[in-house]
Order: sequence, then structure tokens, then C-alpha cells
Amino acid sequence: MAELLTVENLAVHTGPRPAEKIVDGVSLTMGESEVLALVGESGSGKSLTAMSLVRLLPRPLTAGADVLTLDDVDLLRATDRSMDQIRGGRIGMLFQQPKHMLDPTSTVGAQVAEPLRRFRGMNRAAARQATIELLRDVGVPEPERRARSYAHQLSGGLAQRVMIAAALAGQPRLLIADEPTTALDVTVEAQILRLLAAKKAELGMSILFISHDLGVVSSIADRIAVMYAGRIVEQGPAGEVLTAPQHPYTRALIECSLLRPGPSGELCSIPGHADSALRITSGCRFRPRCTATHDAHIEHQCAAAEPALATQSHATRCWIGMPTQVKEPA
Amino acid sequence: MFFLIRRLAVLVGTLVIASFVVFLIPYLTPGDPVRKILRGRVSDLNVDPVTLENLRRSYGLDRPLLTQFWDWLVKALRGDLGLSYTRRSPVTEMIGSALGVTTVLAITSLLIALVAALLFGSLAAVKRGRPTDTAITSITQGFVAIPEYWLAPVLILVFALQLGALPSAGWRGPESLVLPCLTLALRPMSYFTQVTRASMIDVLESPHITAARARGLTFGATMIRHGLRNALLPVITLFSVWLAGLLGGSVVVEVIFSIPGMGRLLYESVINNDIPTIQAGVISLVGLAVLITTLTDMGYTLINPTVRAAHVSA
Ligand SMILES: Nc1ncnc2c1ncn2[C@@H]1O[C@H](COP(=O)(O)OP(=O)(O)OP(=O)(O)O)[C@@H](O)[C@H]1O
Ligand code: SF4
Ligand SMILES: [Mg+2]
Repeated sequence: MAELLTVENLAVHTGPRPAEKIVDGVSLTMGESEVLALVGESGSGKSLTAMSLVRLLPRPLTAGADVLTLDDVDLLRATDRSMDQIRGGRIGMLFQQPKHMLDPTSTVGAQVAEPLRRFRGMNRAAARQATIELLRDVGVPEPERRARSYAHQLSGGLAQRVMIAAALAGQPRLLIADEPTTALDVTVEAQILRLLAAKKAELGMSILFISHDLGVVSSIADRIAVMYAGRIVEQGPAGEVLTAPQHPYTRALIECSLLRPGPSGELCSIPGHADSALRITSGCRFRPRCTATHDAHIEHQCAAAEPALATQSHATRCWIGMPTQVKEPA
Repeated sequence: MFFLIRRLAVLVGTLVIASFVVFLIPYLTPGDPVRKILRGRVSDLNVDPVTLENLRRSYGLDRPLLTQFWDWLVKALRGDLGLSYTRRSPVTEMIGSALGVTTVLAITSLLIALVAALLFGSLAAVKRGRPTDTAITSITQGFVAIPEYWLAPVLILVFALQLGALPSAGWRGPESLVLPCLTLALRPMSYFTQVTRASMIDVLESPHITAARARGLTFGATMIRHGLRNALLPVITLFSVWLAGLLGGSVVVEVIFSIPGMGRLLYESVINNDIPTIQAGVISLVGLAVLITTLTDMGYTLINPTVRAAHVSA
């Protein structure tokens, strides 16, 4: 399968270097027409990872990587001007609070029309017509009337449909969906997930689907990457990760999603707090919360060094899952 | 629609109350109203008591206060607010011409201030924390402290006397607008800049700006299409407050540049105790203030659909 997106060793720094890394060593690959789910607790760095792909990190955060390519484009070296062409064009984005993502003083239709005029060279009239078609296409009822609405007149689900229309307007190859259903109620969430799956099949785009809920992800993901404290701790085909999780954190996440997490998304039964990872300067970041039972030898490893993420198709960042424990702590 | 009617009712109500207070001016200020009115009509104030009473009756000043108010109001509505004590001409005409001059002055100054402020305020917000921002912020803070009675002579000295580029005083043609407008614009420009900067910083941090960038809009296009409009709302409110204030005229600027505006007219009428002129001046300023507030609210609703929704459902 041809790679669409390749990310190697992505890091997000809290400021000009040397600074704290809040995302570290993230490597991802995505194929054409593939859904990769990026899963983890709140604060694990999912959004920062997504925003660094399109260079929209809020100041003063900065990102760096060894490799960052989309198709044949080197996103690390792309000029700001060509990034403006890539955002909204080859990469579309969805966010968690769709109503807050729309300009309150501008009509919904005008905002969907922006990428049409910019990327598909349509004039005003053509863009207006195409906007209505797009809105109809993503299941907005009465699209002619809705195009003239403002964000505050829409429900959350309708606003997310509008955002989907705007994201699809530029005919993206990659859709980055950052918790697109977290703020919606369960029925609407299911509708939006179905819509995204249908659009993916129809248009052949890939989706980087960000969520804190493995349950939500299981219906749509081809592959799953689990993030903890700014790192990917497990990555693999969705079926394998869900049925044979290797990392203790992934196992805890799965137990939690079966118990249905609370509305704010905090995890129910993983003891300890994600902040505990901040105090870890050596060894595995999950150690303060890890409940896996292991022998003294592994215990020693956990404290001494952070396990690396292997490159095989189902890989984990845990000493227990290591095929061979060759690395002796120095 | 209902919103409009309600605003109109408020406008009329405010004006009626204001007129009543204005009407009471000669009665509330110390001294006999007849004598005050006479001061405007005759030169010799040593009138004997009998004549005084006859005059009181012939002017209707012995009737109940409300009856007098009604008569006064009806005349006022016809545009008759009496003759100026000092200039002997109808005060409505005097106020009309002075107000015209002051309006031109105020609006030109505030538009200059607004355009500059949107430019500098947005620039400072975008360059937040960098030298450009620091420069703009501290310069505008300094400008606020510059008094008009200092700035006006300096501008005259440089542009009129030294360079001879502009007239130093008078009210003839557009070039006589330049120096007074610059003088008047400086302080509002500084305040508008600070407010624009603050609200622009808010807007820049709002999620819909990120979403607009994610749709592929360039930074500049995002600013113009989704930033400025949202940032404009608090500036509009401040603009209208300044407009209402400046329409009262600026005594300092009008005296220094000898401009026949409201400031000078009202100043002179207070000095001379010219009651009809004061009355007419106060009424027109109150009326204008209410009118401006109404227009501002309407402008606000045009820009911000959230406010519009609130009015429709109210
Ligand atoms: N501007 C910033 N400066 C410093 N730290 C930041 C900044 N923005 C985010 N962080 C930190 O980076 C971490 C990762 O944030 P991120 O938004 O990527 O998390 P997330 O996985 O998307 O969580 P959520 O589910 O809450 O959206 C958080 O712990 C947050 O405190
Ligand atoms: S490396 Fe050790 S501490 Fe970390 S998750 Fe695995 S077993 Fe737990
Ligand atoms: Mg997030």
C-alpha cells in the first residue's frame, strides 16, 4: 500500500529549544483510504500531534520531526504559502466543538464556500450552488435555508455536518478529525460516524481519527495508535489492538470503554493520574500507574529505561511485550 | 420590528423628559424668570414692579408650569426655541449651523481615528509581545496624555507657521479641517487602538480562527473575513460614545482654530447666561446622543447575528 502520510520522530516543544517536550518520538504512517485512530486520555498530546501536522500549533509551541511527508510533499520544508494550499486542500480538519469552530458573524454557507472558491476556482454563484449541494450531500436538511443560517442557530450535530461539508469542499486526501463526536450525544455521534465512514468509502480519503474512546473508534478504525504522555505506546491493526492489547495502558483503556467513560471523557478505572508522567525522568512513563505483574528483571528495566516502540505492524512500548530483551540498562 | 418601535419609544420618552428639564432651566436657576427673559429683550433692567407684573402676564409666566411647558414644547416642535439673548437671532438657526460644523469636525476626526486604530490595533495584536506591539502600545498610551491645548498650537506652529502648508485657523474648505481633526483624533485614536488590540487578541485566540486557517484561508484572509468583523464590535460601542461626546463640540479646539461650532457657541451662551441658546443646545445634544445610541445598537445587530437573535426572540 502506498504511504499517504509518513511521520517520523515528531516532537512538540513548549517553546524555543531547549524546552520541555510535550509530544515526543511520535512516528505514524497512513496508507491511502485508511482510518488510523489516535487514542488516549485527555492531555496525552493527540491534538498537538494533529496540529503540528498542519503547522497550526498555538504559540509558543514548536514542532520538529525527522520526516514529515504527505504524498510527495515534504511538510517540514514546505513554505508557509504552500501550507496554505495544503490546509483545506489536501488536508481537511474537523474539531471537537463544531459550533465554536464556526464564525458567529458569518453565515454557514459563506464558510463552506471559502474552500470552493479558493481551491476549486469557483466564482461566487457557482460556489453558492456547490455549497448547497455539499450541505445536502452531508445530510443537512433544507440546505438552501441552512446555508443562510448562523452557527448559533444550529444544533451540535448539524454544525458538525457543516464542518464536514467545509472540510470536504477542498477534496482532501487526508481528513484529520479531532474528537469530532465527543461533544455530541450518542445517537448523533453514531450518525456522524456513519457519515464519515460513507464519505471515506465514496471519496477514498484517509482519516486520522482522534478520540479518547476506544469504543467509538472500534467501528471506524483500520489501525489504532494509543498515546500516553506524548508518546505512542501501542500501535497496530484495530482488530489486534482491541482483542489482543499488549500494553497495560491499552488494556486499561479497553476495560474503561466497556464500562462507558463519563461524558467528560476521563477514564474510569485507571488508577493514578496522567500528570504522574510529568515527574518521570527515566524509565517507562506509565510506571506510576502500571498494574501489570512482572518479574524482577523486567521491573528493573521499567525503572531504568524507556522501552522503544518497535517497527513491526503490531508494536508496543512496554518491556513485557518486547520480543527479545536485548537492551541491558547502561 | 418590535425592537425598532421600542427603541423609538425610548427615544421620544428621553427627549420629552430632557425637554422638561431644559424648560425648567430659567426657573431652577436663581433669580426671577421674568427678569432673566427681559435681559434678552430690553437693555434697561430697572423696570417698575407694575410693568414687571404686566410683562409676567403677557408672557404667560403666571400660568401653571405644565401649561407653560406645553406651549413651549409645541413651539419647540415647530422649531421655535426663541431668540438668543445676545445675538438676537433665532437659536434654532444658530444651533443648526454650529451643529453642522461640529458634526463635520467630529465625524472626520473619528473616522481618521478609527482607520488608524484598526490598522495599528490589529498590527499590535498580531505582533503581540514583540517590539512592534510594545511600540504601538506605549506610544498610544503616551498620546492619551497629550492635551489638546498643547497639541493644537504645536501643529499650528509646524504645519501652518513653519511649513505654511495649511491654514492656522478659520473654517474655509477641506484644508482648514486637517489640523483641528488631527488634534481631535489623537486621543480617540489611542483609545480605539487599545480596544482594537485587546478585542483582536481575544478573537485571534477563538477556535473559529483556527478552523478558518484549517479550511486553507491565509492568515490575511482569515483576519479580514473572520477577525476584523468580530473584533470591531467593542470598537463600535466606543466610537459611538466618542461621537456623542464630540458633538458637544470641543471648546479648546474650536477657540484655538476659530471654528464656529457647538463648543464655542455653548461656551459663550453659558458665559452670557443666554438661556434660549443653552436650552436649544442641550436638547439637540440629548436628542443626538439618544439617536446615536439607537443607531449603534442597530449597527451592532447588523454585524452580530447573535444579538439579532436576542432581539427577535425578545
Ligand atoms: N500552549 C501550551 N503550552 C504548554 N502546554 C500545552 C499547551 N497546549 C497544550 N499543552 C499541554 O500539552 C498536553 C497535550 O495536549 P493536547 O491538547 O494535545 O491533548 P489531547 O490529547 O488532545 O487531550 P484532549 O482529549 O483534552 O483534547 C496537555 O497536557 C497540555 O497541558
Ligand atoms: S514498561 Fe514496565 S512500567 Fe511500562 S507499561 Fe510496561 S510493564 Fe508497565
Ligand atoms: Mg484534544
